[in-house]
Amino acid sequence: MARTLKDLRPVYVVGVGWHRYQNPSDTPYVTLGVTAIREALADARIAWPSVESAYVATALLGMASGRPMLRHLGATGIPLSHVENASASGSTAFRQACIEVAGGLVDVSLAVGVDKRNPVRRDNTGMDNLAEDAIAQFTHFSLLTNEYAYRHKVSFEDIARVAVKNHRNGARNRNAQRQQERSLDEVLGGKKVAGSLTALQCTPVGEGAAAAIVASEDGIKQLGIDPNRAIRVIGSTARSERVYAAGLGFDAVLTKETTAVALQEAQVSPQDLDIIELHDAFTVEELHYIENIGLCPEGQGVHLLKEGALDIGGRCAVNPSGGLIAMGHPIGPTGIGQIGEITLQLRGEAGTRQHPNARTGLAHMVGVGAVCYVHLLQRP
Amino acid sequence: MDTLLKPTLYTPDGALLGGRCPCGHVFFPMQGHGCEVCGRHGADLKPMTLAGRGKLLSSTVVHLHADKARTAPFTVGKIALADGPVVRTLLVDTVQQIAPGTEMATALVPVGIGDDGTTILDLRFRPER
Repeated sequence: MARTLKDLRPVYVVGVGWHRYQNPSDTPYVTLGVTAIREALADARIAWPSVESAYVATALLGMASGRPMLRHLGATGIPLSHVENASASGSTAFRQACIEVAGGLVDVSLAVGVDKRNPVRRDNTGMDNLAEDAIAQFTHFSLLTNEYAYRHKVSFEDIARVAVKNHRNGARNRNAQRQQERSLDEVLGGKKVAGSLTALQCTPVGEGAAAAIVASEDGIKQLGIDPNRAIRVIGSTARSERVYAAGLGFDAVLTKETTAVALQEAQVSPQDLDIIELHDAFTVEELHYIENIGLCPEGQGVHLLKEGALDIGGRCAVNPSGGLIAMGHPIGPTGIGQIGEITLQLRGEAGTRQHPNARTGLAHMVGVGAVCYVHLLQRP
Repeated sequence: MDTLLKPTLYTPDGALLGGRCPCGHVFFPMQGHGCEVCGRHGADLKPMTLAGRGKLLSSTVVHLHADKARTAPFTVGKIALADGPVVRTLLVDTVQQIAPGTEMATALVPVGIGDDGTTILDLRFRPER
């Protein structure tokens, strides 16, 4: 019979690290990646030879980018895999590392995401289309924004408030690409890209790296890792898109399906969540996803947003890192960076971004395809 | 004599070239790779001409577009075809907002001149008259 992550050996996040997400630069990806890994090793207070396997998440670096990076930590000969799953590449690498530790094959594993803003290449499927070249990601989400505003009688100004909150959080995060608070007027007054969407309501895809080290209880004991700073991964769920009824947004429905499985397996209710890091590449997504995660009924997300329930210090801090809109979205690193933020929050180490008494966190990613990944973390 | 830009996708009278699986799933465009619902493939999947009509689910005006071959602004719509599939494509440019739920129909519009001097037509949607 199939088992869930919770049925296997307990697995914990013991070290997290970043290279700041930033605008494209001349910095080699090797520098980005090893910086994040060294920070995660220092955070766990372990040395590189203790790491027994590595998963490298990258969507845009091309073939076999991992070894030319990892060798500079000392070529220990550990198994190395590359993981590409669009925006969810990092989440997928993290899940694989957790599964390997939970399954008992290794005691310590690394998931690292690293990317540069290179062109996206997708081979053709052998099928033509009417005008997909005219529909950029922001146009896809502008269509969804218009649908959401019309269906729920919500104003574009209120949807844009997601960006105000997330910029406020990002301004307190040294690893965020955008570290500047923005007023609603600034968000709305920026360059228009499609429909009501302005540049500050869209993620700035840049470059960066994020790393997370996971370990078993045996690993924690053997390496003398502080168990009080170890954050347990209590759930890991992944799904991909099915065929949905016309008019249903696949990103939202897929999020609902995946989260429902994750929460049920981990026996956590949406009301138990203190922290959510989710895929807010565009403002409307945050509303779609909090509603489909179950924080509130469909169409009610703006009320939570306006009453401050989604702020740090509110009912549930949503995207305390700044989210994709302010923290940034360098693709490969993004899902791992979410795990890092939740780990800091659940340890009480998030500094000026700290959400009080955070115990349980959820990380959510969707990726073009579409795929969806949900992880649940809890402090001891 | 006019030329269609994408004759594998639509007909000169604005119908769409889709397909149907024995399981009942109707899809666009026609393909033989396999049915997204049940996995039947090849000759099991039959061509089906879809009426060029449907209801608008959403539309948006694109202000910025990286591809120089498409000059912004232009309008994109998502249409639930009367025969089932949802398609996303360009709308005939219009300044007025079109409300979701509006009945839409296909129209062939000139998009250029071919090497042989014929007019090249591409498919768009616009509110049904």
